Amino acid sequence: MATLALSASAGEALVLGLATGPVCLATCGPVVVPWMMVQPQGLRGHSRQLILFLAARLAGYLVFACAVWLLGSAIPHVNRSEWTGRSWVMGGIQVLLAAALVVYAAGWPHRRCVVAKTTGNLVQIGEASAPRRSGAMALGFLTGINLCPPFLVAGVRAAQLAHLSAALLFFFCFFAGTAVWFFPFLSLGFLKRTPAVVTVARMVAVLLACWYGFSGISILVERTFHG
Amino acid sequence: MASRSSALARPPAFRGVGRSILLTLPMALWSLLMFTPSFRQAGRNQHIGAMAVILFMTGLFFLMMRTGETYRWRRIFFVALGFLFPVGFIAALVAERGTMSIPISRMVSGDTPFCFMVTPSLILPAAFAHTIIFPGSILPTASNPHSIAAMIGIWFAMTLVLGKAWCSYACFFGGIEEGFAAIPKRRRLHRFITRFGAQLRLIPWAILVFVVLVSAAIFEPVYCMWLCPFKAVTEFPAVRNLETAIQFGVFIALFVGLVVVLPFLTKKRTQCGFFCPFGAFQSLFNKINLFEIRFDREKCVDCALCQTSCPTVALSKESIREGKTLLNCMKCGACVDACKKDAAVWHLKGTPIAAKPERARLLFLYGAWAMATMFGGSVLANGVHTLIGFLPWK
Repeated sequence: MATLALSASAGEALVLGLATGPVCLATCGPVVVPWMMVQPQGLRGHSRQLILFLAARLAGYLVFACAVWLLGSAIPHVNRSEWTGRSWVMGGIQVLLAAALVVYAAGWPHRRCVVAKTTGNLVQIGEASAPRRSGAMALGFLTGINLCPPFLVAGVRAAQLAHLSAALLFFFCFFAGTAVWFFPFLSLGFLKRTPAVVTVARMVAVLLACWYGFSGISILVERTFHG
Repeated sequence: MASRSSALARPPAFRGVGRSILLTLPMALWSLLMFTPSFRQAGRNQHIGAMAVILFMTGLFFLMMRTGETYRWRRIFFVALGFLFPVGFIAALVAERGTMSIPISRMVSGDTPFCFMVTPSLILPAAFAHTIIFPGSILPTASNPHSIAAMIGIWFAMTLVLGKAWCSYACFFGGIEEGFAAIPKRRRLHRFITRFGAQLRLIPWAILVFVVLVSAAIFEPVYCMWLCPFKAVTEFPAVRNLETAIQFGVFIALFVGLVVVLPFLTKKRTQCGFFCPFGAFQSLFNKINLFEIRFDREKCVDCALCQTSCPTVALSKESIREGKTLLNCMKCGACVDACKKDAAVWHLKGTPIAAKPERARLLFLYGAWAMATMFGGSVLANGVHTLIGFLPWK
């Protein structure tokens, strides 16, 4: 009976992930696209980066699953829709995401590996792919714990489950359902890499950092002054 | 020196009067056709406005034929379009609502006229969620005849035929900055533009990617809500709280900076060249478009007059060396008119370069001017009619 319930829960999570995948795609797209654009051309490198991104995202999901399950079991009678900590978490994550994007756009800490200056006006993309794992993982983890609407739906459901393992399985299946939608990003591997493409990707990262920073700070300020 | 400049100067009349009139005739008929509905309206001011625009558009086309110059005459039309569009638009808003700001209730009811600038942001939400993230109506309604479907259809057809020429023959907004860029005699910040031109040209692409991705993520037309400099002279969300106040501040700052101050200092269309994401999107269509500007390397003396004259920095030394413009060329004709050696030429893809440049120019201008008359003509007429309404002796 318990196995049957577990299977039903896993199936529900998978379907939820598949159904809400386009929203995940749209939410994570602003972070994934500039990141992938700055990688060297080729499907193999892009697949590696996407796997790292998704692995870190899965880690974020599982951390979140633990948190919501513990919250759900610790305060079973709380009205979760009135949980006010959400704004703090959301605002904080968005500010962190903004900081990560600025760091990435600035090329730190692998600037010397990525872009080698040749002449006054020209830049050449060097052997860039290998050392950039930490960026994919940081961005993947931060988007993994970013509270988008489908994620919150899954969180509420996971908090109601009886065991931590069930909550983790639920989030794993939810992740599997959404991950399918990320494969189109691999097509960016076919985009021809020029210094212009890399520069545009960096500019996009800066603009996104401004956007997330503004959004996160707005949420935090509103939470602080208006409760 | 004097003999050299006189040898380089263009002949005063490029074409005879009779031949120029003959070449202008189709455009005169097209203008009349476009304004036939205006003559059915009762108001005298509408008739005057329509008549003035027919004469204006036909006259400018005649001068293009007669002098062989494109940029100078196109600029007169374009600046008039840029300054008369807000006149008619703001007057209509104030007459209807008493204010330029639009309340949220009006936006929700779909009364917002569609703006082509938002087109790239619509693609992803329409593809994934079958939703148009603009508060207009897909089909025409009694209160809003400028439906999304009709506007996108017209824009797409024109763009396929003329590529990025849309930005210098049809855009309502570019004329404002072109007007400010035309005022000063001296070009300032020239060294800065030359030094950083390659990077500045990439900013519209970055804004395009940003706007498309974030619009899809939050289901809002981000450019309209936060980044459009022309909200300052059209309509904007009513200022009700800190967020809308910041939005309004951004619109004003972008308008003053990119549309007034920088064009005045640099004599360039800085908003179009270094900011507009729709312009970047439009550049993609230059790839599949038949008309282009090319450089005859045998005649070119690398004087860089074309590069200096280009209002959107769509030329680089490398591109001229390759005999091409960059992807963001909006076919305004400034480089062709500036070239004293006739090395810069209008060109029809698939034909030999500089074989029959005037024929390519004519073919292009018929399409471009027809679009200008159709799209901008009614805007000009509306502006003229509004101005006549302000006159004390109306």
